[in-house]
Amino acid sequence: MISRRTTIKSLLLSATVIAGAGGFAGKAEAADKVLKVGINLSFTGADAENAARIGNGATLAFDEANAKHEVPGYTFQLVKYDDATPTAGQYDPAQAATNARSMISDRATVAAIGPQMSGAGKAMAPILSQGDLAIITPASTNPDITDPKFAAQYRPAGKAIYFRTVATDAYQGPNMANYMADTLKVKSVYVLDDTGAYGVGLADAFQAQAEKKGVKILGRDKLDPKAVDYSSILTKIKAMNPDAIYYGGVNQAGVKVAKQGYDIMPNVIKAGGDGMQSADLLKGAGFPAVEGWYATVASPHFDEAGDAKAKAFGEAYFKKFNQHPDDYTVTCYTGAEVIIQAVKDLVKAKKPIDRSSMREAIQHVDLKNTLVGPVEFDGNGDLKNKVISVFRITKNDKAPLDDPTAQYKYIGTAPMS
Amino acid sequence: MTSVDIIVQQLINGLSLGSMYALLALGFTLVYGIAELINFAHFNVFMVGSMVGLLTLQAFGLVGQETVLTGLPLVGVLLAGFAMSMGVCGLIGMSIERFLLRPLAAVKGPAAMITTIGVSYVLFNAVLLTLGSDSKNFPNPIPPVSWAIGGAVLRVREVAIWVISLALMGALTYFVSYTKLGRAMRATAQDPDAARMMGVDVDRVIMTAFFVGGALAGACGMIFGLYYNLAKVDIGFGAGLRAFTAAVLGGIGNVPGAMVGGVLIGLIEAFAGQTIGAAWADVVIFSLLVLVLVFQPAGLLGRLAPNKS
Repeated sequence: MISRRTTIKSLLLSATVIAGAGGFAGKAEAADKVLKVGINLSFTGADAENAARIGNGATLAFDEANAKHEVPGYTFQLVKYDDATPTAGQYDPAQAATNARSMISDRATVAAIGPQMSGAGKAMAPILSQGDLAIITPASTNPDITDPKFAAQYRPAGKAIYFRTVATDAYQGPNMANYMADTLKVKSVYVLDDTGAYGVGLADAFQAQAEKKGVKILGRDKLDPKAVDYSSILTKIKAMNPDAIYYGGVNQAGVKVAKQGYDIMPNVIKAGGDGMQSADLLKGAGFPAVEGWYATVASPHFDEAGDAKAKAFGEAYFKKFNQHPDDYTVTCYTGAEVIIQAVKDLVKAKKPIDRSSMREAIQHVDLKNTLVGPVEFDGNGDLKNKVISVFRITKNDKAPLDDPTAQYKYIGTAPMS
Repeated sequence: MTSVDIIVQQLINGLSLGSMYALLALGFTLVYGIAELINFAHFNVFMVGSMVGLLTLQAFGLVGQETVLTGLPLVGVLLAGFAMSMGVCGLIGMSIERFLLRPLAAVKGPAAMITTIGVSYVLFNAVLLTLGSDSKNFPNPIPPVSWAIGGAVLRVREVAIWVISLALMGALTYFVSYTKLGRAMRATAQDPDAARMMGVDVDRVIMTAFFVGGALAGACGMIFGLYYNLAKVDIGFGAGLRAFTAAVLGGIGNVPGAMVGGVLIGLIEAFAGQTIGAAWADVVIFSLLVLVLVFQPAGLLGRLAPNKS
């Protein structure tokens, strides 16, 4: 009985995977060898909208490459994996681990893109390391995953397999602290986090640098993301008269911090990381509560009116998806470019294309001119060229009020430590 | 803000929170008093109430905090919101009793209680699948008027919540104490068999208790949405657990006890956040619950109705 159920389940599973793949990638040329690339994002649940925008970047890159026969003899096929579950309502590390195992078990999968969430990345990295499958994340920024200190945990097989086309929170937090101290002239700050892996790490990194810059840390509190009422803690903070508050965390608590923070202390400077840069925040909290919030993104800001390459990308993207790309759409597009370049390099060197040669090739990719600038990885898989962009939510009545590309106004890059 | 201002502000926060817990606790206590059953579906009936309120207000074209109404339109929209959420939740409560619990009346043991847990999951997942798990921006048409009390701020929406909660609690007290159906309820709570012999339609009384409990949960869902500008599928558990604790703390089955317990827990939560950190509020609340149950097992105010065997 059990075995039959398992068979049915695995049949269903492969059917969904095939169906997902069919909808997501172009058709293979008859003679071409198909290279599968797994993409793992939180396609359903609280972060679904961001996931769709990110994933579109990879779809566009591979569709373009296939259409142009960029690597003669090879066709790319994206296979979609969703790490969100209905019970979690957002990403679920257990589902992410299952997806990583599915990717490994398909021999045709030579590289992967994702995940969106650091919590998912922590669950996937050790499995992918054992399977020697390189993954390029366009959005997960927790520094632990690529930190050599935790190598035994996140890359037990030794080699770097977790590559990033974004910077990490080890820069995102501190650089925002610099920006607050240097540009906003903040003298005192209260720090909050949402008890999650990403939030705590980000808030810690921010706090340490803020202290170094001589900003007075008035206190630090943890918010239970499932609790609803933060009014008492926010009242306590208000009574301390801070210049600013910094929140490390994602939407679930962030929506409530924004709403209640606006009610209780509308005039205090409020800032967060890329967890506060989302359509879901604009939808859940809305104006006027979100007005004036600062948020950062761990990549250069994509300017559609920039150089020729940027213009071409912006136009192609809008034509295909009828929306404007996010910054993490661009990092995802770049991640796909890295994979395509790695295949090209292998073909040029007449080497076989398999997982370990792909990992090696990705490690040594050297792209001078991508949409996010030069892309090269260090020995841990981190991007060498790190840029943190600062945004401020500024109401733009001419665009939909929940469109992040319109409502987050780009201010500039945050100063490096 | 001086320390007096802080205390006043936290009192305002705590009373607002407490009046919501109290309303929700009333539903637990009312049903327990009549049917001797903890209705765990109450958690998510409350959540459904806030969703119904959300949909009703959106049907009037209100989106987020953009639209502010005054005068008659404001009263009309709020009345419609409360009527819908209370009506729908009352009907859900009544249906739970009529279709799921009454057939189990003859079954001994925890079957009925477990059924309510099941209903809770059904409601949760039904909302999850239809409306999704994201945070929804609950419209608030109440004008953002506020008054300064020293350094503390009292907003009109807090006053509105107190007034609405007090009115509902007053209406409930009047209903239970002075109406014929209320008297039948008290009689059923004391001794259902004797009540039946005196001509009380016990089935109808029990169903009424479930209706009123559900309606109060619906009202609370609406108030919750107006206060936090938020509706989300997972709000039921956190608030419901506190409210259940409030009911036990005050003495389950005891109507004034539920109100006292609710307000007490709201105040504890506010002052714990101020003094020892928000994360410790639950520790204080549940420690207090344990202490009360050890030294005063019937709760702070005790059960008014005599124990049934």
